[in-house]
Amino acid sequence: MDRLKAALEDFGRMLLFAVEMVAWVFRPPFRPELVLAQMAFIGVGSAFIVGVTGTFSGMVFALQMNFAMKQFAAEGYVGGSVAFSLARELSPVFTALMVTGRAGSAIATELGTMRVTEQIDAMESMAVNPIQYLVVPRVIASLLMFPMLTMLFNALGYAGGFVMGVYVARIPIGPYLAHTQEFMKVSDILHGLLKAVVFGLIVSVITTWRGYAATGGARGVGEGTTRGVVSSSIFILLADYAITFVSVGT
Amino acid sequence: MIEVRELWKSFGENHVLKGITLKIPKGQTYVVLGGSGSGKTVLMKHVIGLLKPDRGSVHVGGIEISSLHGKALTEARQLFGMVFQGAALFDSMTVYENVAFPLTEKRRGERIAPDEVRRRVIEKLRVVDLGEEVLPRWPSELSGGMRKRVALARALVSDPQVVLYDEPTTGLDPITTDYVDGMILNAKRALGITSMVISHDIASAFKVADRLAVLYDGHLAAEGTPAEVRDSKDPYVQRFLSMWFEKQASEDRSA
Repeated sequence: MDRLKAALEDFGRMLLFAVEMVAWVFRPPFRPELVLAQMAFIGVGSAFIVGVTGTFSGMVFALQMNFAMKQFAAEGYVGGSVAFSLARELSPVFTALMVTGRAGSAIATELGTMRVTEQIDAMESMAVNPIQYLVVPRVIASLLMFPMLTMLFNALGYAGGFVMGVYVARIPIGPYLAHTQEFMKVSDILHGLLKAVVFGLIVSVITTWRGYAATGGARGVGEGTTRGVVSSSIFILLADYAITFVSVGT
Repeated sequence: MIEVRELWKSFGENHVLKGITLKIPKGQTYVVLGGSGSGKTVLMKHVIGLLKPDRGSVHVGGIEISSLHGKALTEARQLFGMVFQGAALFDSMTVYENVAFPLTEKRRGERIAPDEVRRRVIEKLRVVDLGEEVLPRWPSELSGGMRKRVALARALVSDPQVVLYDEPTTGLDPITTDYVDGMILNAKRALGITSMVISHDIASAFKVADRLAVLYDGHLAAEGTPAEVRDSKDPYVQRFLSMWFEKQASEDRSA
């Protein structure tokens, strides 16, 4: 019971932190150079791992779909299935999980270290609000870069699936492309991008909060990072389910 | 310059400050002595508004810091420079960027030209005896003493009226400790700054203080000039100081 109470209190504090963060987004001074630096770190820095994951996910998914569809002589639908699944589900979720592991953990560790070495207090003592200086740029950069990385995942995933489907599984290119166009609508891509924005918000708020609220030296920073990554991953999956349920129902 | 009135603060069941009252006149160095966990840092964080009191108030330069929030508090903090125990230099920035930080951030509102920023950074580094060669270095490349000096330069760069020192000599060797003491005295003499130092280093405290207080169990067990505190009849203060005075006496005998 005490643990539940502590968890609820902690969640409440994180929500207050998020509200304060939103208030600081709209107050000057604005620091575009810090947002750009974080976009480079979160976005450009994660492009390689997201690209590799996307390519292999598309390749594997195409082979699996080909294996399943072959039984109904429906291999032509592989392209459409891959594109549809990537756009709505695989790309936003896998991208968010990969970026959580790479950039989210780094954010929690960096802010946690700054907290326990009093760098955040120092910033505050110099009349600079640390939420505005440290948290806001990371959240804005995440909101912008998660959808972009998701599009990268989409593109490379589809390309990987295309190579496997057309050149390895020898599915005729005509039906492959035709069924892709038939299956997948722009709204499917937008559905995935909406998820990406929500996941970007979840990951950036949780990991910055875990760093910001870290206590007790190196061990506290490590614990904060672990909790940041684990709770981000769980909330990504919960949000994915909620958005999917609301948009497609049962 | 600084006035703390009947300050009370608890964290859950832990009652850290129990009605602290003290006054620091302009241009003086005031040292708060106390053992680990005596609430020294909590007291200092109230002075700069990083913590809010449960009861009581803190006034700096006529402004009630303890009642301010948001933008007003942020503006009031420009009165202060603070030197943290571990220096708290930003490890993702060079020495130059660290010392310039309070100015470059202020520049957004008040427009200080980059040349002027550089001039003031170099000038304040000179006050702490550091040359231009340290500007491009990273905090991780500096010794403990140098980090403290850079931290003081950063605290001085925006010409604050008050400088707060959190355990400035903890973890330093005797020579560097002596140097840091000199640095605190020099900052006061050269710039007329009001200083508040929290420390458990008795030797340093008696060297730099115009006035001293000994914090124990949430109260000021003694308060006054160094001579007055030395003559205090309070049993905790006597115990706290006696070890150091005995050590000093034995050193004098052997010398």
